[in-house]
Amino acid sequence: MSTELPFLVELLVSALILAGAGFAVIGALGLARMPDFYMRVHLPTAGTTLGVGCTLSASVIYFSFSLQTLSVHEFLISMFLFITAPVSSHMMAKVALHTGVKFVDHTQGRPWPSRTQRPSRDNSQILSDWQTRDRKETE
Amino acid sequence: MLRFAVIVAMLLFTVSLLLNLYRMVRGPDLVDRILTLDSLYVNAIAIIILLGIFLGSTLFFEAAMLIAMMGFVGTVAVCKYVLRGNIIE
Amino acid sequence: MLLALIILLPFIGVLLPVWFHRHGRTACAWATALPPALGLVLLFSQAPAVLAGEVRRFSLNWIPELGLNLAFRLDGLSFLFCLLILAIGLLVILYGRYYLSSDDPMGKFFALLLLFMGAMLGVVTANNLLLLVLFWEATSLSSFLLISYWNGRSDARRGARMALTVTGAGGLAMLAGVLLLGHVVGSFDLDVVLASGELIREHAWYPVILVLILLGIFTKSAQFPFHFWLPHAMSAPTPVSSYLHSATMVKAGVFLLARLYPALSGTELWFILVSMVGLITMTLGAVTALFKHDLKGLLAYSTISHLGLVTLLFGLDTRLAVVAALFHIMNHATFKASLFMAVGIVDHETGTRDMRLLSGLRKYMPMTAMLGLIAAGAMAGVPLLNGFLSTEMFLGEAVAQRVLGGWSWVIPVVAVFAKVFSVAYSIRFIHSVFYGPSQPEALPKPPHEAPFFMRAPILILVGLCLLVGIVPNLIIGPLLAAAATTTLASPLPYYSLAIWHGWNLPLLMSMVAMVLGTVAYLNFARLLRLWERLPAVNAMDAFENFVHDVVIVRARQVTGRLENGSLQHYLSLLILGTVVVAASGLWGLERLNGGVPLSALDPPSVAIALIMMVTAIYSAIWHHERIAALMFLSVVGLGMALIFARFSAPDLALTQLSVEIVTIVLLMLILFLLPPRSPNDSTYAHVVRDGLVATSAGIGVGVLAYTVLTRPQQTISDYFIQNSVTGGGGTNVVNVILVDFRGFDTFGEITVMAIAAIGIFGLLDGMRLFDPKKDPNVQWASDKYPLLLLILNMPVLPLALMVAVYIFLRGHNMPGGGFIAGLIVAIALILQYLANGLRWSNNRMQWDYHPLVGAGVLLAGLTGLGSWSFGAPFLTSAHDHFHIPLLGEIELATAMLFDIGVFLAVVGATLLILANLGKLKSLDTASEENR
Repeated sequence: MSTELPFLVELLVSALILAGAGFAVIGALGLARMPDFYMRVHLPTAGTTLGVGCTLSASVIYFSFSLQTLSVHEFLISMFLFITAPVSSHMMAKVALHTGVKFVDHTQGRPWPSRTQRPSRDNSQILSDWQTRDRKETE
Repeated sequence: MLRFAVIVAMLLFTVSLLLNLYRMVRGPDLVDRILTLDSLYVNAIAIIILLGIFLGSTLFFEAAMLIAMMGFVGTVAVCKYVLRGNIIE
Repeated sequence: MLLALIILLPFIGVLLPVWFHRHGRTACAWATALPPALGLVLLFSQAPAVLAGEVRRFSLNWIPELGLNLAFRLDGLSFLFCLLILAIGLLVILYGRYYLSSDDPMGKFFALLLLFMGAMLGVVTANNLLLLVLFWEATSLSSFLLISYWNGRSDARRGARMALTVTGAGGLAMLAGVLLLGHVVGSFDLDVVLASGELIREHAWYPVILVLILLGIFTKSAQFPFHFWLPHAMSAPTPVSSYLHSATMVKAGVFLLARLYPALSGTELWFILVSMVGLITMTLGAVTALFKHDLKGLLAYSTISHLGLVTLLFGLDTRLAVVAALFHIMNHATFKASLFMAVGIVDHETGTRDMRLLSGLRKYMPMTAMLGLIAAGAMAGVPLLNGFLSTEMFLGEAVAQRVLGGWSWVIPVVAVFAKVFSVAYSIRFIHSVFYGPSQPEALPKPPHEAPFFMRAPILILVGLCLLVGIVPNLIIGPLLAAAATTTLASPLPYYSLAIWHGWNLPLLMSMVAMVLGTVAYLNFARLLRLWERLPAVNAMDAFENFVHDVVIVRARQVTGRLENGSLQHYLSLLILGTVVVAASGLWGLERLNGGVPLSALDPPSVAIALIMMVTAIYSAIWHHERIAALMFLSVVGLGMALIFARFSAPDLALTQLSVEIVTIVLLMLILFLLPPRSPNDSTYAHVVRDGLVATSAGIGVGVLAYTVLTRPQQTISDYFIQNSVTGGGGTNVVNVILVDFRGFDTFGEITVMAIAAIGIFGLLDGMRLFDPKKDPNVQWASDKYPLLLLILNMPVLPLALMVAVYIFLRGHNMPGGGFIAGLIVAIALILQYLANGLRWSNNRMQWDYHPLVGAGVLLAGLTGLGSWSFGAPFLTSAHDHFHIPLLGEIELATAMLFDIGVFLAVVGATLLILANLGKLKSLDTASEENR
């Protein structure tokens, strides 16, 4: 941090860094605190990724000013992250459904039990509960 | 001001790492651990970028880039393993 | 130079018979004869000088640091042996052409024969002890290959193994002796060693050196108690027996006795050891030979007996004994080689070598019978033949020596006793085969005379026996004088090679032996009965039992105790050993803290360390759930990368990250084949023990690191940092070390990696395992290739490749380099396999990975060799800077080419292993899909 930056730039960079760290902490808090996996999966994917995005933007601005050339590495990293984050969370959700991870009552949306994907016993219990409740509602 | 911001951010990320550790240890399912690992990788990118800003050095970008890539491949490979068993089929 | 050529010729010529093999057997033999014939011409061109007492030398540095040089000398002794090797070699080649049947691979036979010839020439001309040992071992090896030439026969294989074990073990003892000798003298140069006889004999190590070297000599020359291998080596084709096991190789031992005579002889120990071993061998061989029914067995024991005679002569304390020994070496080579060839003819034309079946062959093969008769006469020591002359000299010296003090009369008495048997078995050899009633119906084949060219070599050798026997001075005088002068390293004592020395004691002893020998043969049947009452010892079985006992039973006992099949056991042994070594080092320290202040703690580093510790412990706790344990381990790996980054080692961080992912992918490929949960099969006590061992090791490493890091230290990194730009042309010291300063290490590493990858491929190729997909207890998702992954993974490939190119090109100055770039590319390609499947990816990447690995290693190697063409040492790099648009200043060093080699090898090896591990499981699944 040798070079002196214009005040506004420094302010912007600091703000972005703090915002990024804030998002990351929110993401981590959510990961630690949310009651079931299906809720947990949102926060790191959205929160932390956004947090890193902010930090990367801060880095772009900081190095572009301090080195006097446009710093492009961060764009590459951001591209990578934004392409891969949804894929990873999608895959993890698939895993959760496949292995029949339990969910709490107020989790929204329910998987449709397919023939090939026979859920494990715990999960099937919940599913059957849900199906009977569904039937009652239609009645 | 920037120095202060970076230090505060570092501390926040440290908190975030520890929260991740909590989830890693608690689980309860395998998929929670996969998620936490993925999240740890993403946090690591931010920490390395912050370290770069802190030291004013661009030497760490490759490491950040590689973490982004490797974290993705790792997560996908583990997910594929749990789903299909055979990751290269 | 000419001298080196004589030794080199057979080695160069090895390819000739292999090549000419297809042009027929005669052409093959001619081609094989070319190198020894040329060698003989070259040898004779040196004859005048050498016989005049000159020593020709040739020397070329090979590994001067070890004292190993390509040094050769041609003196009288070497000349004598070279002559034997080349001349008899030529005759054996001629003989072998007719001996081998058309089914035998002749090219292989002659190639091995030339190999042996070269090695043997090397032994007799080496002017450096280490070089001599090297050639010595080469003769053992080529002898092994020649004995087992008919490798379909079990007796040939067993005999070859035995010969190799005995002579090889002796060779090792000799190597030890030579090393000690070189240490005592301070040089392995034979000139120096031969000149320091006094120094050696007075040194405290002299007995050890002598015994070790004599072990080598006695095993090679089949001396008691190591004589048993020679009769079993007779399962070799007869030309081999005639060449190696009578004329040349077994003479290597006695040659060395002669060669080192100036350096080692002259002490009580020498006289007693050498003469006693010789005496026992001579007698034992002669007696056993008489009772062997196999012709080759008889000749084998006779050879042992004659070698014992030569050894005995070297052990006698008269100077003339040495002359007699050398003379007998020559004579024995001529008559024994011809006898073996005669036996070969008998065997070839009748189908048997059993003397109880053979009889009266004189009628069918008169020429062979005639030649055999003369040669056997020489063996028995009949006057007018060469054997007579050397035997007379031997008996003369046996009488003249005073080795055993008051008991010295024992030696001439035993000598006459052995001579009696020698006469008897010579008579038996001739009489039972060629004389007596002819009974062709008892033989497997109708007997007939051999072709002329098969008899020709015998004719020449027998002619020599006669000529030497009648006019010794004319034929052999100067040669013998030159050889004896070299051996004695001083002017010769007076001796006369005349046939008639007047009536004297040796002549009388000879005559007594002749008469008694004839009497013994006449009473052969009675003697045989006596002999058969002795307990029979089968040397082969005894030897194999011994080897089995040592190698299998004993070794297994030791191994079984150390390797009881428990991984925990091995690891605890290794770890505890390390802990003990480290602890004993730390124990002597006054205090652990060395005074260098510790750097301040910062919260993120502490948090990362904490995370690593906790997850490491959890991975141990969760080890029954393999995949969960893998997740914990991955966190440790990530923490490691962060720590590397924190302490400014970006290169290490990059490497750590890429290796981490490759390892995870690899582990998952393998975990698939294992049960998802490992059973709990450690007892509580075991867990406690393992925990204690692991804890002590962990604490030990921690303490060690603390002790080292708090002490002021001088590292070698300063040197690299200062020289990296000037010497290697790069600012990234890590990469410059990898591709330049320590380029040779890297080259070795990628070579090992390539070998490992190909080895793994070899193991996996065609391997069939249980397909876990068939396990009904596990449910797998039906979606093979998730669509989202499939689509979004597409842009990742070009991005990753771009990153790889970037990291590769900048590698020399900035973090990166070929190794990391290789891993990135490999991971990017693995991702394609992962997302799109094997079939899809293989359709788009239709190349094998083996050539890629090979190309990488080759490119790296060629880059290294390239610097030779500029006169610089291996792997010297040249460099310059170039400006390339977009990428900026780029360093283009030859090290970059080397780095490309590393890159290719890494990509190839990684994919070769991972893709094939994936394929392994698909074998079954694919066949299932086809069904």
